[in-house]
This record gives sequence, C-alpha cells and structure tokens, in this order.
Amino acid sequence: MNRILNWFRRRRLEGDLDRELQYHVDRRVTDLIHSGLPEPEARRRVALELGGATQLREEVRDIWLTRWLRDFVYDLRFSARSFLRSPSFTATAVLSLGLGIGATTALYSLIDQIILHALPVDHPERLVLIDWIGFQNAETFGTANLMSYPICRDLRQQKQFFDGVFCRAAITVNFSTGGESSLTAAELVSGTYFSVLGVSPALGRLLTMDDDQVPGSSPVVVLSYDFWKKQFGSAQDIVGRKVLVNQHPMTVVGVAAPTFHGIDVGEVPSVWIPAVMSAQAIPGFNTMLDRRTRWMQILGRLKQNVFLAEAQTGLQPWFKAMLDEDTRRTNISRASAEQRRRFLASTLALIPAPQGHSVLRHNFSRPLWVLFVATVVLLALACLNVAGLILARGSARHREISTRLALGASRGRIGRQLLADSMLLALAGGLLGVVMAPIAVRALIAFLPHNTAANDLKANLDTRLLLFAFLVSLATGLLAGSAPALQAGRKSLDSALRERGGTPSSGLALRRAIVTTQIAFTLILVIAAGLFVRTLSALLVKGPGFDTSSLISFGIKPALNGYSDAEENRLIRRISEELRSSSSTGGSAIARVQLLLGGAWNNSLTIQDRERYITDREVQINAVTPGFFATLGARIIAGRDFNEHDALNVEAVHQSLPVNESGQRTMIVNEAFVKRYFGGRNPLGARVAMGARPDAKPDTEIIGVVENISYRSVREQWEQAYYPIGTELSGSNFYVRFRGTPESAFRSIRAILSNSDPTLPITYFRTLDEQIDRSLNTERMLAALSSTFGTLALLVSLVGLYGVMSFVVNQRTREIGIRLALGATRVSTIWLVLRDALLMIAVGTAIALPCVWALGRLVESQLYDVRPTDPVTVFASTLVLCSTALGAALIPARRASRLNPTDALRVE
Amino acid sequence: MPSSRFPIPQGTLDMLILQILSLEPAHGYGIAQRLEQISKSVVQVNQGSLYPALHRLEQKGWLKADWKESETGREAKFYSLTRSGHKQLQVEKASWVRLTGAVQLIFDEGAAE
Repeated sequence: MNRILNWFRRRRLEGDLDRELQYHVDRRVTDLIHSGLPEPEARRRVALELGGATQLREEVRDIWLTRWLRDFVYDLRFSARSFLRSPSFTATAVLSLGLGIGATTALYSLIDQIILHALPVDHPERLVLIDWIGFQNAETFGTANLMSYPICRDLRQQKQFFDGVFCRAAITVNFSTGGESSLTAAELVSGTYFSVLGVSPALGRLLTMDDDQVPGSSPVVVLSYDFWKKQFGSAQDIVGRKVLVNQHPMTVVGVAAPTFHGIDVGEVPSVWIPAVMSAQAIPGFNTMLDRRTRWMQILGRLKQNVFLAEAQTGLQPWFKAMLDEDTRRTNISRASAEQRRRFLASTLALIPAPQGHSVLRHNFSRPLWVLFVATVVLLALACLNVAGLILARGSARHREISTRLALGASRGRIGRQLLADSMLLALAGGLLGVVMAPIAVRALIAFLPHNTAANDLKANLDTRLLLFAFLVSLATGLLAGSAPALQAGRKSLDSALRERGGTPSSGLALRRAIVTTQIAFTLILVIAAGLFVRTLSALLVKGPGFDTSSLISFGIKPALNGYSDAEENRLIRRISEELRSSSSTGGSAIARVQLLLGGAWNNSLTIQDRERYITDREVQINAVTPGFFATLGARIIAGRDFNEHDALNVEAVHQSLPVNESGQRTMIVNEAFVKRYFGGRNPLGARVAMGARPDAKPDTEIIGVVENISYRSVREQWEQAYYPIGTELSGSNFYVRFRGTPESAFRSIRAILSNSDPTLPITYFRTLDEQIDRSLNTERMLAALSSTFGTLALLVSLVGLYGVMSFVVNQRTREIGIRLALGATRVSTIWLVLRDALLMIAVGTAIALPCVWALGRLVESQLYDVRPTDPVTVFASTLVLCSTALGAALIPARRASRLNPTDALRVE
Repeated sequence: MPSSRFPIPQGTLDMLILQILSLEPAHGYGIAQRLEQISKSVVQVNQGSLYPALHRLEQKGWLKADWKESETGREAKFYSLTRSGHKQLQVEKASWVRLTGAVQLIFDEGAAE
C-alpha cells in the first residue's frame, strides 16, 4: 500500500534522495580536502566509495516501488502514450470492450439481485424453503411452493431440525389512515416470521407468537421502514396509531429495520399483518385453519450442524404419518382412488433459500441466464476483436519490438508490455462499462412485470458490482492480451529483423483463427436473435384469439372497502348498468378470473357422455357474465351464449354452481376441449361435473362451444370451460369495448366508478393491448436484447474480418503486384483475397451449426411455434452473416485488384 | 590495509544502523562516520550500500526521517528510531547473541576434543 503511495510522491522522494546524496558527497569531499587530498582526487575517491550514483538511485527506487510494479507503471504510461497516437484504434477497442463489459455487468447486476443475493438477515445460508412434492389435493391461492397454515404449525414442533419455521403469503390490501386509502402490498405472516429471520425493529416491536393465537384476535400491523418514512413522514409517535386495513381498524405496533425488505425481491411488502388476521386481510377468505387450502410459503431455519439432507430424511416419517392422518379426515376421503394414491406418494422437500422466496426468480431465472450467456459471448467477441487489433498493431510494430529485443529486453518483458496494452484498454473499457451499466439495468428492469408491490431492484452500482466489473475487465485484458503477448515471445530475433514487407507474418494464423471463432460465435447469436424475434412475431400474429383494439379491462375489489356481499353485488350491477348505457361504450362483461395475467382457476372435470370419465389434466375454468364472448369478439361456433336465465341461483350456496330457472346448470367449453374430450363430435347436451370425486353428480349441461381464446397467456392453448356468473358477484374483472379514443373512454369509465364510490379500490385499469404487451414482456425482452446482441456481434466480427483482410492485402502487396505485372486479371486478384475470407466464413459456420443444435435445448422452452433448429431461421441467419462478411472482405479485395503494379513492387 | 578490514557480514548492516541510531538521531554521512569509528576501521562498510539500507529501514517503518539543520548549518536528512525500530533492534540483538553464542559453543566443543 505504502509502495503504491510512493508512486504518487515519487517526485518528492527523488528530490530528497538527491539532496541527501549531495550532502554526503559535499561533506566527504570537504573532509578529504581537510585531510590533505587535492579536490579532484577527493571527488574521485567519493565517487568510488559510493559506487555509481545512477545504480545507487536505481537501488533505492527499487525499495520505494518493487521492480515489477515500477515496470508495470512505466508500461502503462508507454501504452497510454502510444494509444493516444492512434485514437481511432483506441476508440474502437475501448468502445467494443465497454459495450461488452457494460452489458455483462448490467445482467450480472440483475442476476445477483434476483437470483444470487442472500437476504440481509442473520445466517441466511441456514434458511430453507419447505415444499410439498406431489399432489396436495387442496384449493390453491397463489403462485408457487404453496402449503397450508396448519402444516406450518405442525412443522414448528420439529425442533430437532429447525431453530424455527415461519409461513407467509404476499397479498394486496386496501390501506388507509382514515382519509386517503390506497392499495398496498402486504405480507401475511406467522408470529415466528421476524424471530426466525432475525430481524429487529427500528421502532416499537415486531410480530411475535402472541399475535399468532386465535383467528381475528390480533388486529396489529408492522410497517416497513420505507413505507413509514414515505407514508408517515417518519413520525416518531407512529406506535399505537390506528390504521384501517380493508376498513378493519388495526394498530401499528412497530417499524421493521431499514435494511429489511421482506423475503421476495420482486414484491416488497409495505405492511406485515399476522396470519390470524387473514379473514380481515383477504375478504371472503375463511379457510386459514383448513388443511386442504394451500396459500402460504413455508420457510425454516435449520439448526446449526443439521444438514439439509439429514433434515429432509428425518422429516419424512412425520410427513408420511400426517398424510395418513389426512386421508382419514373428512374431505379427502371423497377423493378418487387415483388421487388418493398420488396424495400418499407425496414427499416433503427442503430447498436452500438464503435468497428467500421469489416468484420473480421462479419466472425469470432462465431468461436471465440465457441473456447472461449471450452477453458473455458478446464480450468474448469484443475481446477477440481487441486481440486481433493488438496483433495487427504488433505486426506493424514488429521492428520496434525486434529492436528492443536486440538491445537486450527479455521476451517476457516485451510480452508484459503487450499485456499492459490490453490491460489498459480493458480497464478503460471497464470504466466505460461501469458508466453504462446502470442505464442498461434500468432499461432491463422496465421489462420486468410490475404490480402493486414495488420490486427491490436497484440500478445503482455497489461494491460487489464494481468488483465484478473490475474482475471482468482484468479477465478481458488477459484474454485479449495473452495471444499477442505469447506471439511476441515466440518470434526468432534475427528473422524478425530481416523481415521485410511482403514476408508473411506468423501472427496471421492466429488472427485467422480469431476471426473464424468470431464468425462462429456471431452466427450463434444471430440465429438466437432470429429465433426470439420469430417467437415474438408469431405470438403477436397469433394474438389472444380476440380483437384487442378498443378493449379496456379493469378490476375492482369492493370487499377491500368494507362492502358486504349483498352491497357488493348491488354495486357491481349498478356499474354494469351504467357502463351499458354509456354512450362511449359498446358492450361490457365481467369475468371472475383476469385474462392474460399468467394465472387460472384449474380443476378436473367429470364428463358424462356415452360413458363417464375424468379429464386427464386439469381444465382451465372461468366464470363470465352473458355477453362476455360477444364483448371480446370471440365467436360461439356451436350452441348458444349464456343468458340471464342461466345464472339465477337464488340460494347462492357457497361453492355450488349457478342454476337456471329449471334448476339446470350450464357450461360453455372451447374448441380445444371438444377436440381433446369429444374427438370433434358434437358436445352439446353432454353433462359435466366439477371435480373428480366418485360422487360428483354430472348435472351441468354443455350448451355452447366458443372458439379458442387465450386465458393464462398468449402462448398457451388449453382446454377451457366457462360457467355463468351467478348473483354472488365478488371482486370482478370488467371487460369493456369502447368507442373513440382510449383516453376519453378511460375518463368516462373512471367517472362512472367514482360516481358510485370515490374510494372504490381499483386493482388495475388498462387497455387489452397493454395487457398483451405486459404478458409478452419476457418474449419482448429476449427478442429486443438478442437482436441487439446479434447486431453488435455482427458488427464486431465484420470489423475483425475487414481488419484481417486489409492486413493480408497489405502484407501481400508485393506478391499481388508481381502477379498483376505478370498479367493476372483483376477478377483473379479479387478471388485470391476472397478465397481466404471464404475459408474463414465456411469454417466458422461449420463450427457454429453443431453448437446451435446443442444449445437449442437451453432456449427451447422460451420459443413459440419455432424449433431451435428451425431451417428457415438458420438458413436466413447464415445467409445474412455470409453475405455481410463477404461484403466486408470485398473492400480490401477490391483495393488489392486496383493496385498499380509499379507502386506495389516498390513497396518496402 | 585492505587485508586487515573484512566486509561486513550480510544482514548485520541493518542492525548496526539501528544500534547507532538508538543512541541519537543522525544523518547518512554521520552514520557512515560513526560506523567507521565504532568498528575501529576493522569492518569495511561499502558506503554505496548505506543509503539503500536506510531507505529500506524507513520503508519498513523502523526509521523516520526529518530535514533538520546539521552541525555545518546546512539542511540534512536526520534519521531516528521509531518505536517499532527500537523493538526490532532488541529482536536483532537477541538473535545475534543467540547466533554468536551457538557458534562459540561449536568452536568450544572443537577445542575441548
């Protein structure tokens, strides 16, 4: 450290040393003169005693800075000076490295934040996610790794494996402090949540086991630090304040530590609510204590010295006993024999979860890794290009280098000089990359889905990221510099000195290999870009199966505003009426489950046709009002749509399906359903029952067939079944066809909503086009980024190829001159040069194609309607690459053919 | 003359410098003179190796240096021992005593036979 400091104060050190030595010399000379020596003799003696002054200085300098460090610094200065002399070379190299390093750093930043980063809690490495592998035979609310609340309570007793176990569910609540209310991200948690994670309060207290006793008994909330700061202006008297959660009064008991943002990086909660308050936090939810309702993720903290595998094995006996006990409980006993078998075959899995649990991670891991690999390839390409450029400079500088070798520089020393060249370029590129990375991260974050809950992703640079960029730059510098450095060490001295323009250089073989590799990499990236673009365009062309222009959808949740079922029902009917009579709308309908959001209501159906059978996979179910299909513009291809008589169930018993006047239940299925279960026969009149239980009564009649429309995503085509929405309308998704501009439609619809209740919680409000855009975010991101990478890679390789071919032409100027003088035609000269380029292109392509075939598996799941080895894409990409590459090679080739033989022969 | 003076053993120069400076701060030339005097012209110190040694010891933090007015009225670089320099001197002295003791022991054994 001291030595590095010495570098910066070396001027002063030098001055001091000079003065010090001068003092010594003067004193010694004076003394010697006093003892009778004549002055010249005295000076000679002193010089002899001290040894050479220059050597002495060198020796002392080596103490200030170790030798290699000094040399390295001098090398860097030398490199910097020589780079400043060729600014275009430097700019190209730094820019390409900067782009590569910036892109890699940006993706690493996201991967780090979403996939790798451990939670800021005590010993995150001991956290595990506890998951049920197999068939749970339970109603599902949520996305992934779900279990019931009672299982979490059971697991807390497994003290020989766990220090503690907690469960949580991410939800949205209507939060208000009396005046304004807004939809707010919240987390329902067990009383053990904070203690197991080891989070401390910033203010007041956190939730404890006392808050986890009797359902409905603990109306308390804990606020997140950021929410407290933003919403309450960091009020110190926050503890004890009353707030309203879905119009239920609750008390703030504390604020969590500032660093803690929940356990899901994609969904940061503002409020934590005890799980026992689930009935208040999720209106209509009253099955918290039901073992057949799965809605929470369970995480545990392993005891110290307990291994994951050990705990997983150790838990199985308890788990099997629980399964066995479950089969004797009432509702599961009605399951079919097959379901029972699958249920009993379930196991319990422990998954390391130092990063917590995140749906975002679940969904985006693969696309992010694919993109990361692409950026690394891009960076490697840039490296190769810089290596090629340095090699080219190396050949231009070979006389300088040979002279230095002849004057006694070691080969290692010359190699180090060339390495310093590439290091300097890489560090400059790294600096540029670090500047660009935050911009790129921000752009990438914009591609991720955004809901009520903010995500915790940041675009700023932290030390980890800077370290990453620095290491990448170092690796880049080494990679780009090692080939030229090794090359410099290999050349024999006398041959190099004797070399003249026109003798082929040995660096050329290496440059050819580099360009060939670049072409291979580029082709892979271009093909990948082609595949992703075709996927996106295929999905856009396919669309959701209905006309999305001039369609708006919005969701309301009156229950979050304290509405009773009957009040909510009346409100929704009133809004529907007003929408229908409004002049700016051309039809509106309601669906229970929102379309194109990635989720669905799934269940098996029992079909009573000529024989009775159960659907071999779960059917996607939705409930809609009459006119839903007409509003969307989806055609009924057989039978009829629902009418208001189909949905008249007066008794409104929980979970029973609506009946019509004659006590008949009705259903509409889609084409895919007919194809799979009726083999294209007419399904009208067939009877169906919800569920797969042996006692399920097939009393629902299929009255219509609708064409296939997208439900979960544009990509998916699945069997669907629709029920009419009964009188119990709750939490509804409206679909409105409008006239005129979206803006005016938004205004008039908002007016209708605020007319009926100004504080009505609106969960979302957007056009269907926007909804489709959102649902295709991943595809859009992959297509946009892979095309960018493909284009950049193509540019980089073309520059590389052009550079090598220009170099070849320069080297062979004399030879070409002789050929021309002897009567070679211009065409044959062009061919002479192009042949070289063609070989590189052909070999590169030959390397790339098997790689594409092998890498296809990695991206297969991201593609739609196109195979990874799709011949059209592969052929078109190869064509693009080959033609542009030939174009790049043609420029130097034409230059060769235009050479004037006399000039060419005079070239030294 | 050259035959009566032998070159200073490797590694002992540092110790001698520390020892001289433990008595009082001195500049380079002063140290050279003291070395001459103390060793009664028996030990030959190459003056060229004195300055690298001083800078090495300064780099290690055993010496510190200040520019002060010298006895001739000119500014000179005066070296003095730091706290860790004092410690180092004790360590080196101790190991020197151990070494010479051990060598003496071996010689004595040879003489006893």
